[in-house]
Amino acid sequence: MEHEGPKGVKDTKHETREVRGREGISTGPSRLRASRASAPSALRDPEPRNPAYERRLRWYRWQRRYEGYFFLAPNITGFLLFTAFPVIASLALSMFRWDLLTPPVYVGAAQFRELLFTDPQFARVALNTFYFTFGTVPLRVILSLALALALNQGLRGTTAYRVVYFMPVVTSLVAAALVFQWIFNGNFGILNTFLRNLGDLFGLRISPPDWLNSTRWSMPAVMILNLWKNVGFTMVIYLAGLQAVPQELYEAAEVDGGGAWAKFRHITLPMVSPTTFFVVIMSLIWAFQVFEEAYIMTKGGPAFATTTLVYYIYLNAFRWSRMGKAAALAWLLFAVIFIFTFFQVRMQRRWVHYEAERE
Amino acid sequence: MSRRYLYLLSALVIMAVIASCAPVPTAPAPEAPAAAPASAEQPAAEGAPVTLTWGFWGSPEEKASHERVAEEYMKTHPNVKFEYFFAPWDEYFTTLKTRWAGDPASIPDVLFLWPTPSYAATGVLENLQPYIEKSGYDLSDYWPYLLDSARYEGSVYGLPRDIEAHALYYNKKLFDEAGLAYPTDDWTWDDLVAAAEKLTKRDGDRVTQYALGMEGGKWALWVGQAGGIMLDDLTNPSKCTLDTPEAMKGLQFFYDLMDKGYAMRSATLGQQGGDAAVFETGQVAMIIQNSSRVPVFNANSNLDYDVAAVPVMAGGKRYDFNGGAAWVISARSDNKEAAWEFLSWLQSKGGGESMYTRNGEIFPALRSVANSDDFLASPKPANRKAFLLAAEAAQPGGFAYFPEWDELSGSIIGPQLDRLWAGEATPAEVVPELCKAVNQFLVNNGYPK
Amino acid sequence: MLQPGRIALHVVLIAGGFFMLAPLLWMLSTSLKEPGDIFIYPPQWIPDPVVWQNYLKTVSIMPFGRFYFNSVVQAAGVTVLQLLTSSLAAFAFARLRFRGRDLLFLLYLGTMMIPFPVTMIPNFIVVRLLGWIDTFKALILPPAFSAFSTFLLRQYFLSLPIELDDAAYVDGASSFRIWWQILLPLTGPAVATLAIFTFLGQWNNFLWPLIVTNSEHMRTLPVGLAAFQGQYRVEWHLLMAGSVIALVPVLAIYIIGQKWFVRGITLTGMGGR
Repeated sequence: MEHEGPKGVKDTKHETREVRGREGISTGPSRLRASRASAPSALRDPEPRNPAYERRLRWYRWQRRYEGYFFLAPNITGFLLFTAFPVIASLALSMFRWDLLTPPVYVGAAQFRELLFTDPQFARVALNTFYFTFGTVPLRVILSLALALALNQGLRGTTAYRVVYFMPVVTSLVAAALVFQWIFNGNFGILNTFLRNLGDLFGLRISPPDWLNSTRWSMPAVMILNLWKNVGFTMVIYLAGLQAVPQELYEAAEVDGGGAWAKFRHITLPMVSPTTFFVVIMSLIWAFQVFEEAYIMTKGGPAFATTTLVYYIYLNAFRWSRMGKAAALAWLLFAVIFIFTFFQVRMQRRWVHYEAERE
Repeated sequence: MSRRYLYLLSALVIMAVIASCAPVPTAPAPEAPAAAPASAEQPAAEGAPVTLTWGFWGSPEEKASHERVAEEYMKTHPNVKFEYFFAPWDEYFTTLKTRWAGDPASIPDVLFLWPTPSYAATGVLENLQPYIEKSGYDLSDYWPYLLDSARYEGSVYGLPRDIEAHALYYNKKLFDEAGLAYPTDDWTWDDLVAAAEKLTKRDGDRVTQYALGMEGGKWALWVGQAGGIMLDDLTNPSKCTLDTPEAMKGLQFFYDLMDKGYAMRSATLGQQGGDAAVFETGQVAMIIQNSSRVPVFNANSNLDYDVAAVPVMAGGKRYDFNGGAAWVISARSDNKEAAWEFLSWLQSKGGGESMYTRNGEIFPALRSVANSDDFLASPKPANRKAFLLAAEAAQPGGFAYFPEWDELSGSIIGPQLDRLWAGEATPAEVVPELCKAVNQFLVNNGYPK
Repeated sequence: MLQPGRIALHVVLIAGGFFMLAPLLWMLSTSLKEPGDIFIYPPQWIPDPVVWQNYLKTVSIMPFGRFYFNSVVQAAGVTVLQLLTSSLAAFAFARLRFRGRDLLFLLYLGTMMIPFPVTMIPNFIVVRLLGWIDTFKALILPPAFSAFSTFLLRQYFLSLPIELDDAAYVDGASSFRIWWQILLPLTGPAVATLAIFTFLGQWNNFLWPLIVTNSEHMRTLPVGLAAFQGQYRVEWHLLMAGSVIALVPVLAIYIIGQKWFVRGITLTGMGGR
């Protein structure tokens, strides 16, 4: 096959896989790992009172303590400037009334009170957002894992499948949303034509919903678009994650007579759990922040049925000149997402298995 | 690396090369060199050199049209140069507001804006009243009431470019097929419904051809014809008046048109590419829309159409709601005098207004332009005077003129009425709730002031 | 090898694939239609006539070459910078121990939870203060330091065995060498994935480039395409043609890049078995 880069690297990989593989079977996926060497061997058994050695040791310790910051420095500089600062600024903004055109006016916590208790749309919008999130995230995670597994079997035509399932991700959302408008058309759309034909096939006379005209069905339509567009994305993350699962584990399991389900349950699932952790957290964050699908396909309608929190934030910020309120909404959203993420992080010890657990 | 990917890569490179060699866009390339020497030859132009930044939204074609207008102006004002600030419609305001918030000096001198009073209230716009008085610019040429949409506290802050004059467009072929006489300017609601019954085709419970395509947002047309209006006062409202019998009658009429399957539902209309698309493809026999569709339809040689005045309620008055984006000057502009000079040319017969009108892009805000060959000379649609009837009758009522209007309309009125256009509730169910919410909104925002 | 399970899998995958492809085929078909043919009923899947002119028109209606070039520079610039800085940071978060590490990481995670519309204006102000409006710096640098990439790579680093580092430390390697010569090469699939995501995200990025550029020659492809959606009318055929053109390069990169995710499989001899 292909050229594999530096020879030594390839060897290392093979070696560790084997080692890990054997170990993995004997102990099961566990955190039993040789504790990390705390210093280079050259430094571990020193002759005492050697000044050169002392200097090196000090240098070494200094390095151990601070090198993390050096690795972070390039990223964190930009991060502070272009991400952290704007985020903090938005926190400050959430306590002002600001129409973007005239100087902001301080209103303090009243902003949040108003939002929570007198804003007529807030509850509706929050509900829509939860509905969307819990309607899509589980499906998204399960579908993408299933797809990644299916495409990791070495089936004939795997490459073609991989391309097909990823194509929606590559497509511009604007074009896709416009096409879906047409697909969901109650009278002429291909989806309903297809559903009617399917009904006829079974002798049923079904009348499918007029998706985007209905306050009940427009949100499911947005969810379908979102899943269509994004399943390929998480699938690829899973595909990359699956590559880190050592093949030897499966071979050993086969020797032990484990079936497909057992292999999935006891090897694949634990071994991709760091990926799952990542996928779940990111999918939640993205779902809570869903915006463009509704913005392009339904304009939040009909009757606010598909207006999500971030769309509402956008409307407040840029259409209705209420930037402060938008920022306050953003921080409420932050609180919600943070709670969910925090919960995930706390729970991860129960189900996420890291090869390289520090501590 | 297998050969296939090399092919792919080279295909990419070739595409990039082709793309960069592609003919450079329309307007500037051929005309710019011609304009430059002309200005150089002008001996000692009267004014000092000025660069005006001009902001507008639109499609690439609309942008080209604005640029042609600017070039025309530069012929008589060689000291003026233009820079353009351009964004697509949806993001124009987002971009602009970000600029106002973060970099107000970069706001263009002359801007296309909507709605003017909301911006004027914040002080970012130049009050045009003194300029108008000093230069004797003629405001009486505007259609009656139109300037209300650009006034704030009694002063004019913007000059509207066009007016929402609606007409009934009809597809002659579909009328012929149904054996119906063409609509006339004195059609009533009953005539419309009678024709609609014959023009609507069904397949089981599905409608395959609608009689009418009309955006839900244009409900104020029917409400106004029935003698209703949404708020008791459009600049300083104290209560919602959509629950009056008159207003309810208008809403009910529109609701029934959709409920009976005569008119395509709002969202469906959007999904099908908007009223122009459904009209061109014969999915609807009529649409009610402003004159912006004329150039599109005229370019379609397969489409045989004409326009008539919008049907009125029997015993009611002709009514249309007015409105239209306006040209404004930024209060931060360094070239206000030059900007005003440009603006007064832009909004004049023989100036920009005539050019836009001849293009068929707009129905002019100026009566003299609408009644001149600029508008009337074009042979298609034959009955284009129908638009004049609408403009004569145009009054406020489609939009209100206080700063929170956009929010009220976008967060309460529009979404609530959506339920009517989606057929999920009747006016009797929706309106009381709607009015309650509107009144609460007005109280929360301190109205009436 | 005909196993019933495999055949069933193929059937499911093909059915799903059809669902994934149908909208794209419609896009392609629309891009080749005359405007009047787009919305006729019943829908026409094969355009008649086929209007290749739409592509020419899309390309000539705006400075397409320039937009294309700007998009490539922007997306590639962000991708390279992001991979470099994020993998360094992810290495620190996953493999090194230092004071405040977990707090900083939480901060990284936290910033992803604040939606863009409210950080856009402060971000814009920073860029303006730096004097970068209408430059490539404004297009490339602000999106180049992503918490998402750092998080993704950190998770991947964590799934690699720590013995790799230990062995190298014992041999006297520096952390930098471990990052560069041991972990990074092993991160192939994750880096390839991330490169594609980043490139893709930037390639379709629309609002930010629109806001930080003034002049036409700094505009990117999505900004150009958005203009086909007018206030009154969508130029469907041109919009779709433009979208198809915009889709091709990213798809090509994906097709090339996906080799990298398969790499691990072929290495361990799992493929085709």
